[in-house]
Amino acid sequence: MADRVILTIGTKKGVFVADAAKPRRSFALRGPMGPGVPVYSTLIDARGTPRLYASSCNPFFGMKVLRSTDMGKTFKETKSAPAFPKEDGRALANIWSLETGSGKKDLWCGVEPASLFRSQDGGDTWDMVPGISNHEHARKWQPGNGGLCMHTIIRDGNRVHLGISTGGHYLSEDGGETFKASNQGVGAGFAPDPYPEFGQCVHKIARHDDAPGRMYMQNHGGWADWTGPGGPRPDIGVLRSDDYGHSWRSIAKGLPSDFGFPIVVHPHDADTVYVVPLEPATRSCPGGAPAVWRSENGGESWSRLARGLPKKQSYFTVLRDAMDIDRLKSPALYFGTTTGQLWIGREGGEQWDCLFDSLPPIHNVKVAVV
Amino acid sequence: MKSDKLRLRDMGPTPTITIHVPGSLRPYCAGAAQLSISAHTVRAALEDLERSQPALYRNLCDETGTVRRHLNVFVNSDNVRDLDGVDTKLTPGDVVTILPAVSGG
Repeated sequence: MADRVILTIGTKKGVFVADAAKPRRSFALRGPMGPGVPVYSTLIDARGTPRLYASSCNPFFGMKVLRSTDMGKTFKETKSAPAFPKEDGRALANIWSLETGSGKKDLWCGVEPASLFRSQDGGDTWDMVPGISNHEHARKWQPGNGGLCMHTIIRDGNRVHLGISTGGHYLSEDGGETFKASNQGVGAGFAPDPYPEFGQCVHKIARHDDAPGRMYMQNHGGWADWTGPGGPRPDIGVLRSDDYGHSWRSIAKGLPSDFGFPIVVHPHDADTVYVVPLEPATRSCPGGAPAVWRSENGGESWSRLARGLPKKQSYFTVLRDAMDIDRLKSPALYFGTTTGQLWIGREGGEQWDCLFDSLPPIHNVKVAVV
Repeated sequence: MKSDKLRLRDMGPTPTITIHVPGSLRPYCAGAAQLSISAHTVRAALEDLERSQPALYRNLCDETGTVRRHLNVFVNSDNVRDLDGVDTKLTPGDVVTILPAVSGG
């Protein structure tokens, strides 16, 4: 019976693991683990005996995948990390996403430069997925500020959704064999054409298991005042799809900013979605007062959740993978900041408390009940 | 144009050199602090490592065969960047040292 809440926290200086009994009153922290290098992606694989995974972006010796089979007490390198074929000409620069696949030991991995890899043995060997990695658009994608990263992998039966910055949203409906750009309604602020076929700077995509056709996207917003070719592009930052990602429409109205990175869906209600609006220029909290914003009607309206969060002089950033929500009856949100704070938002974000306030800058937060 | 075999013969017998392995990379070569290799150039030494010590090699070079950006390779006391890069020639008894660059924050 699942009775522990476990958090993996990927930071600039390695991976931390925190866990608590289900009431989540206090969390025990261990780490940093790994060689003290940036960790951009983690995964809690709760299928069977839980396994924790973390990428390890070693600037000296290259990328590694770390695996723990003892609930995060120790991590060891898997036998290999994703790598491009020698004749490909690309070299792995980072690992941005790790997700479970359909088989018991099946893993998917999104990397920089944007490509997809798959392992069928729990991360010991990897094969490049050519349908997207060698897509006709792949050599035309451009790096965003964080690099040319494949940061989102969402599986839904034979559908596979990918988020690429800057490439956009790509959809496979044949289990990952082939992919098509699927960006109708997804705007781009940094190109003359406001609605290109591909090349959008998608920041994160989320969905609810019980409503797979409903999807939410945090896109690169902040273009309301653009006066160049193509004109202003207000509200392109927060979007919704009701047709499995084939088309998207804005749900940003009512937010203080349509720029942000993470987007998270409530585990028990597909209409409830959370974002962290940021000032587009500085990528920091508007007015120095951080808040998570929640919609309980699929993005028709938004409310501010800030009880317990600083009211002023806080200018951190919450990165694209640094917010998650657990699946308990009254779920808690968790977000990590670039200033090394880890916050918990109890009762679906109604009450915020700082769990840890001096970690290294946080890239990634994942939670599971195991 | 001379064949590879003829060019190698012109270079004389293959020198035996020592590769010094930093502590953080020794787990990738069974704990060895030094490796003895016969190679005419740094490139040939790396190619030998690719065959004989593939786990160690993956830490030194990326998929394209390029030495990782934040690593420095020295032949004796000289950085190969100041010599002929990976085409730097080796002579018997040379010590090749691989060190992480001083960088980070």
